[in-house]
Amino acid sequence: MSDEYDNNKSYQAQSSETMGGSAPASPDMDYVRPAETPDQELYHGHSFITKWVFCQDAKVIGVQYFLTAVFTGIVGLILSWLMRLQLGFPGAAGFMTAEHYYQFVTMHGMIMVVYFLTALFLGGFGNYLIPLMVGARDMVFPYVNMISFWMFFIAVAVLMASFFVPGGPTGAGWTLYPPQTILPGTPGAGMGILLMLVSLSLFVIGFTMGGLNYLITILQARTRGMTLMRMPLTVWGIFTATVLAMLAFPALLVSAIMMTLDKILGTSFFMPTILQAGEVLEYGGGSPILFQHLFWFFGHPEVYIVALPAFGIVSDLISVHSRKNIFGYRMMVWAIVGIGALSFFVWAHHMYVSGMNPWFGFFFATTTLIIAVPTAMKVYNWILTLWRGNIRLNTVMLWCLGFIVTFVNGGITGIFLGNVSVDVPLSDTYFVIAHFHMVMGIAPLMVIMGAVYHWFPLVSGKFLDEKLGKWHFWLTFLGAYSIYFPMHYLGFIGVPRRYFEMYDSPYMTSAVGMNEFISMAAFIVGAAQFILIYNIIRTLKVGKKAGQNPWKANSLEWLTSTVPPEHGNFGERLPVVHRWPYDFSVPGAKDDFITQTTPPSEVVHTEVEKT
Amino acid sequence: MVKAEKKEQSASTHKIGIYMWIWGLLFVLSFFSYMVDWYNFQGMLRWSLILFFMFLKAGLIMAFFMHLFWERYALVNVLLWPMTAIACFIFLMVAEFEYTLFSRAFYFVVGGGA
Amino acid sequence: MSDPQIEGLQLKPGFKGMSEDTGSDQTMFKGVHWGKAMMWIFLLSDTFVFSCFLISYMKGRGSTLVDWPYPSEVFALHVGGVSVPLLLIAIMTFVLITSSGTMALAVKYGYEKNRKMCGWLVLATALGGLTFVGMQAFEWTKLIEEGVRPWENPFGAAQFGSFFFMITGFHGTHVSIGVIFLFIYAYKVFAGHYENGGKRGWFTTMKGDYVEIEILGLYWHFVDLVWVFIFAFFYLW
Repeated sequence: MSDEYDNNKSYQAQSSETMGGSAPASPDMDYVRPAETPDQELYHGHSFITKWVFCQDAKVIGVQYFLTAVFTGIVGLILSWLMRLQLGFPGAAGFMTAEHYYQFVTMHGMIMVVYFLTALFLGGFGNYLIPLMVGARDMVFPYVNMISFWMFFIAVAVLMASFFVPGGPTGAGWTLYPPQTILPGTPGAGMGILLMLVSLSLFVIGFTMGGLNYLITILQARTRGMTLMRMPLTVWGIFTATVLAMLAFPALLVSAIMMTLDKILGTSFFMPTILQAGEVLEYGGGSPILFQHLFWFFGHPEVYIVALPAFGIVSDLISVHSRKNIFGYRMMVWAIVGIGALSFFVWAHHMYVSGMNPWFGFFFATTTLIIAVPTAMKVYNWILTLWRGNIRLNTVMLWCLGFIVTFVNGGITGIFLGNVSVDVPLSDTYFVIAHFHMVMGIAPLMVIMGAVYHWFPLVSGKFLDEKLGKWHFWLTFLGAYSIYFPMHYLGFIGVPRRYFEMYDSPYMTSAVGMNEFISMAAFIVGAAQFILIYNIIRTLKVGKKAGQNPWKANSLEWLTSTVPPEHGNFGERLPVVHRWPYDFSVPGAKDDFITQTTPPSEVVHTEVEKT
Repeated sequence: MVKAEKKEQSASTHKIGIYMWIWGLLFVLSFFSYMVDWYNFQGMLRWSLILFFMFLKAGLIMAFFMHLFWERYALVNVLLWPMTAIACFIFLMVAEFEYTLFSRAFYFVVGGGA
Repeated sequence: MSDPQIEGLQLKPGFKGMSEDTGSDQTMFKGVHWGKAMMWIFLLSDTFVFSCFLISYMKGRGSTLVDWPYPSEVFALHVGGVSVPLLLIAIMTFVLITSSGTMALAVKYGYEKNRKMCGWLVLATALGGLTFVGMQAFEWTKLIEEGVRPWENPFGAAQFGSFFFMITGFHGTHVSIGVIFLFIYAYKVFAGHYENGGKRGWFTTMKGDYVEIEILGLYWHFVDLVWVFIFAFFYLW
């Protein structure tokens, strides 16, 4: 047990048993009102299976989610290598046909957006961090939480199975636009697309179970003194992203069901009258654009489902590693909530060239530009947090700085694409690829990496190697820019996305050298990620012991009874919270940090503000 | 202790009359909306009547059967705000189906003005 | 339900109470059981599912060039040689509202710890739900006999059958799941799982409580609520 934890003897004085029913006559400054609900009873596993496989401990479930998501992520990474191999050096991969290429594009996109980033942030970090950060013993419904992971696992298994069915996985692009998705001629239009739709439905069902847990844990199971405005921004980010997921995934579920019916039963929800090889198909009267609306009603919030947890996590990392309170905490919270709310009103900016009602362009361009305002406020606040901070330029901080730069880059190109007149010529070019890989690929990935280096000492009790970490960062950072900066240029000269071969038009041949360069960079960046895996394995064997609260952070996850935290997280008593988690470098304080559990009476002589 | 429990119970349940009233009202309103079809009202009158009875019924079920009327506003607030996203979606899809209908009529029936 | 008593906290009514609840520690929904909060959020998510279905239906129906079948005739029932429009639907609505009423009363008696009444009313609700599912099966059979298929129908636009079977099917699935749970909970009430401090439930460390009947009730009323919208948009439009 740490000093911080033991020294807080004031817990005893305030526990609900001694406090009695009525508030004291002269309110003690350390008083926190008693617990509303009795302590949660937990099911403790005894066998290997109940402890590590069908486990009801949110932390183990978080790690399970993390590992499964990383597995799918590596599959996605290998697919991207294959794609770059084809684009940079056509014909170098002998087996690669155009069909394979489309299948790899599709699976790479779907895996990375849904099965990797969403699962990693909400399933992985959400499960591990939410109960610890809000001071709960576990998620409120541990059994449902366990089922949630196994649904995700089955969804991944079904998705991976589609690689092995006749015809292979679907090659319709990750947006799965009908009518081509389910028509012969598109790779994987048989079993591949069906398995994809089933897998997505399972993912949604599984995620709903997990999401309910995250939301109710945050809303209803916080510890004493933990108000919403004292939660770390990580929790705020994950919370808002989960709300978005709960409200956006239904649209995906509905479109998946409708497309499955179109495929199996021959209904025509999305299928117009179609001539195929001179013959009129059975389909007729459906509306392909309806699918696009449903898909992007899910798809745009999905972007923020990935981005908001990253925003939250990076705020905490920056604050801890520059030893300064986060600048404008309330503004940060409202920005997260505002971005979340607005994200339901911008979806058709993905559809400017789709043939929708032309007036929509005006509405969606306006809302898209509005959503940039809270996003920009967040960037300013991160920079102002760093401003004159006591910055520790360790691996975690490097990833955070990399995130800010990358996010600004990707965000600015987003403003280009949000305007109809700029978007139309740039639609379906490599500019779009560069934009969204920067803003929702590389940027959140940098946060994930930073978060792994930051919280690994909590999960395993050992520090990851800094030297390897810096190599990992610089290779990834410089490599990612080598990949995506040239892509902006490719987009400007008009190179279209999703093309198997670049053919021989003059501007295409002028880009050959650049494509080769991008591919080389992609191989190096991909390979650099294995440095992390090596680092983790090495650290588990010979890593430096971290001990309690190695980063001198304030939030509750570092104040557990043991490191790594046991089932139940906080030992005998739950912590009582007296302040926000950002009291760093307070003038007059003994240390440069004041943990959330430090009662006001211990810091009366400091200049700490009431939070 | 027993007395306190008793008090808590009476605080958390409502008179049976209120449920009976709502129950009866739901039947009456359903009957009315059925009558809209029976008398074959058309046009805006039909639409406004259907929507009026629908929202009234939905409101009654939510407010009294699902106890939302007695819940604290924190819960009600959380539940009702997301409906703005639905409202926006409905509004835009009305504009969209009108445009689709227009373009279908224009290109398939009129012949694209060529 | 009504305002709970919370130790060390003065709960205020109205919007003032809302802002104070939101700003307070521990819980945002004061006195609301975890399971009940979860059911509400789940229903919110499910509302989006049904909204997306109905919006798709609106988009599909609104933009079709082929005539949409006239529901008043398609769903008419011939009773003694006279065609009565929407008769079956009217009876189904009647049954579902009846079961909703019995459910509301079951919740009330549950909170009053009236085990017998609560149990019988939950059972009555389950039977009402079962009747509804049965009548829906009858309705489907009748339409299929008349040649309505998900991909085509003799009355007009093919999308009519597609949307009808999909949306009523999805609603019917919700009702069926509800019926199964109603039977289970009727058993649990009669077996006294909520008496004397409650029996530990399945798959959970939480003790049983009559609040579970309210949670079940929320789900059941939601199913009824969806039917109100389906009734208006499918049968009356």
